[in-house]
Amino acid sequence: MNEKIKISTRNLSVFYGPKQALFDINLDLVENKVTALIGPSGCGKSTFIRCLNRMNDVIDLCKVEGSIKVDGKEINTKNTDVNLIRERIGMVFQKPNPFPKSIYDNVAYGPRIHGLAENQEILNTIVENSLKKAALWNEVKDRLNQPGTGLSGGQQQRLCIARAISINPEVILMDEPCSALDPIATAKIEELIDELKKSYTIVIVTHSMSQAARVSQNTGFFHLGKLIEFNLTEKIFKNPDNKMTQDYITGRFG
Amino acid sequence: MSKVEKIKLLKKRYKAERRFKFYGILSVCLAILFLFILIINIFSKGSGAFFKTEILLNIKFDEKKLGLNINSSDKEIQEANFEEILKDALLVLAPKVPELKQAELIDMVSIDAALEVKKFYFYNKGVLNKIAEVPLTLSDDLDQVYKGNFPRDIPEERRRFSDFQLKIFDDQISKNKIVYKFNWSFLTNADSREPELAGVASSLAGSFFTILVCLILSFPIGILAAIYLEEFAPKNKITEIIEVNVNNLAAVPSIVFGLLGLGVFLNYFYLPRSTPLVGGMVLALMTLPRIIIPCRAALKAVPPSIREGALALGASKVQTVMHNVVPLAMPGTLSGTIIGLSQALGETAPLLLIGMIAFINVVPATPIDPSAVLPVQVYLWSESAERGFVEKTSATIIILIFFLIIMNSFAIYLRNKFERKWS
Amino acid sequence: MTEHIVKSYEGQLQELTNIIVKMGGLAESQFSNSMIALLKRDQDLADKVIGKDFLMNEFDIKVENSVINLIALRQPMGIDLRETVSSMRISSELERIGDLSKNIAKRVRFMNFDLPSDIIASFKRASDVVQKNLKDVLDSYSRRTKDLAFRVWNSDLEVDDLVNKAMDEAMVFMKKDKKNLEISTQFLFAAKHIERIGDHVTNISENIYFLVTGDQIKGTRSKKRSTEE
Repeated sequence: MNEKIKISTRNLSVFYGPKQALFDINLDLVENKVTALIGPSGCGKSTFIRCLNRMNDVIDLCKVEGSIKVDGKEINTKNTDVNLIRERIGMVFQKPNPFPKSIYDNVAYGPRIHGLAENQEILNTIVENSLKKAALWNEVKDRLNQPGTGLSGGQQQRLCIARAISINPEVILMDEPCSALDPIATAKIEELIDELKKSYTIVIVTHSMSQAARVSQNTGFFHLGKLIEFNLTEKIFKNPDNKMTQDYITGRFG
Repeated sequence: MSKVEKIKLLKKRYKAERRFKFYGILSVCLAILFLFILIINIFSKGSGAFFKTEILLNIKFDEKKLGLNINSSDKEIQEANFEEILKDALLVLAPKVPELKQAELIDMVSIDAALEVKKFYFYNKGVLNKIAEVPLTLSDDLDQVYKGNFPRDIPEERRRFSDFQLKIFDDQISKNKIVYKFNWSFLTNADSREPELAGVASSLAGSFFTILVCLILSFPIGILAAIYLEEFAPKNKITEIIEVNVNNLAAVPSIVFGLLGLGVFLNYFYLPRSTPLVGGMVLALMTLPRIIIPCRAALKAVPPSIREGALALGASKVQTVMHNVVPLAMPGTLSGTIIGLSQALGETAPLLLIGMIAFINVVPATPIDPSAVLPVQVYLWSESAERGFVEKTSATIIILIFFLIIMNSFAIYLRNKFERKWS
Repeated sequence: MTEHIVKSYEGQLQELTNIIVKMGGLAESQFSNSMIALLKRDQDLADKVIGKDFLMNEFDIKVENSVINLIALRQPMGIDLRETVSSMRISSELERIGDLSKNIAKRVRFMNFDLPSDIIASFKRASDVVQKNLKDVLDSYSRRTKDLAFRVWNSDLEVDDLVNKAMDEAMVFMKKDKKNLEISTQFLFAAKHIERIGDHVTNISENIYFLVTGDQIKGTRSKKRSTEE
């Protein structure tokens, strides 16, 4: 299988002050595939993906050790320009958080600050394409000037996805993107993820095992800060190697 | 617990609730009552200042007595003497009157009456050699008589006006020569020793410039300081100390800032005394913590998800804060600013110390002209013995309140505009 | 194995297992009785076997409903998924075994005289092996072990050999005398049934192997004689 590794971590450990939250994580994320990360609450999956776009830098006491390589290049160094990393690796959060601006300005913000559009026309095109890719264009094309916060939950989350892809990243990190949404909105986002994986590499943290099973090609099971098992989704949910994984997915966790 | 006991307990609770509601409504009513009393008091006392009595006097603009002609220049008009034609016109009211009484006659009009005649002539040059009806401000004593503030029925020795003056006055009233109209000069004149001529223009301009300087200094510095302290400063001992001190500064009595202004701005830097520049600087020091504290609270209230969203897009810290966080914190900040500036507008003590108590009879044109402010004006006039200043004091308070309302309305409009745009 | 956190889920899976175990027991007794009836020409016993066959169908329907419920309502994963799917397949194999036992019992009516004892002995050997295999496979299901299942799967050839041998002897007997035709034919049918039961037992062993390990037993099954199937 000719699979290109987009991001790989080696011996990745994270400390919150004296407390260690992640222990020596070695994980390879394959390009243009969806990788799901599952595990009980507090197992470190959110902490892990926040390492990938250096968002853990925002937290004061957080220390990240180990290697994170994107396309073979190390990004966990002092000299790395985090803003450039975040331009290549975007993030969608658990609770939709559109900016308190208009729908248009929400999507246009990223391209504006990164100087991706030389004139208004190009910016309009970027906004339109992003909203189309996020399957939101038809619903909002007549009200681009209305505030982003006026949309429904599912629409807001798709707006956040549009915002993330407006700067043309290579990787999209999703931290439980559907946990605040109803089943229909969730299904729309899952369909969107299916489409998006053709152009982006996607990592999704989810509490719902059935979602991980539906949406991903590779799955990693985390427990208490360790990566217990990482394999093809099919294998993990039909016949996992590790007993702890088995117990988790069948609901036998003690 | 048995059912009966439960019902009893429930009834007690309902009673307590009703009592509580009653107390609440009572408090609100009391507050409104006090407010009502205050407003009625001020307005009844001060409304009189907005009106003045004038006498319509027939004056003959005799060119020989003035020494002017049709082609006289403005400078020549300026230097001409209008006193004589004024005196002649007054004597017409009571001809054949002894010298002593003549002085009383002249006293009936305001001390600047001659100037008013001159001004009239400036705009009506065609009346040369003709008789014209010129409205002249009455002296402040008669003005008060007309407004009913001076009783007529006490013996003459105890009055500020004589029976003779009163007789002429009533006579003119019956001839419809006394008019009562809106006192624009109250708003356009500077302070004066004569109550009938005194106006709030100088202190109004002084307040305006002072608040302007205060705003220009405190708003940007306050907001930037709050943004830095809240978003960028590292959380260590030093910033903790700064935070404690900012909070304490808000509690410092305002007169202390006056002392600071006196010692540092005036005596060390030799900045001009009694000016809105220094007044504004002193008030800015006082207002800074009152802007910093609510601004910080408003920034703290912005949910971290907004910041994370921006950072995750690759925005730098500065871009995140300035583009996304600060606009959301604006309504709260503006509320704090409104309160801070409103308090500054009413401050008297610190400004007294830097000398804004002087008698200013010229309307200041720039922030470095000496001036007074409205609250100080209120203080000065309330100290005066003249009866005419009583109503002017209350009227100034009305003007002050009006100024405050305009300021607050503008700030509320701004805040609403921000809130609507962003939510 | 640790219990499910949701006890009712655990209960549903356990119930499914219980039905399979009951079905297995019934299949064992039906087969054993049908062979005794055939070899001793006991019509009463044969009638009993035929009469009890409906129970197997009922069990099978119960299993099917249980399985569909489990899939719809519990979305089983991993080993639970394999349990569920295997149970359904094992149940249908057992139902077929019951059916075939009934068919063996139906032959008794046409046996008008006893076969020579050596033929009977051959048949008995073949059916004994299949019965043992059935018992073993049901044991390995109860204990969830893969080794017993593997052994049974491997003994596929042995069963076929024994059945072929019995069939050969029966055919020789048939050719000896015309009056032997009827009874020999019935016996040949019965032999085919026994062989088919053996196949179903092998299928069950494959399912159990998959249930326990998650892998398919490798290799192809033994070749059959050209005259069969």
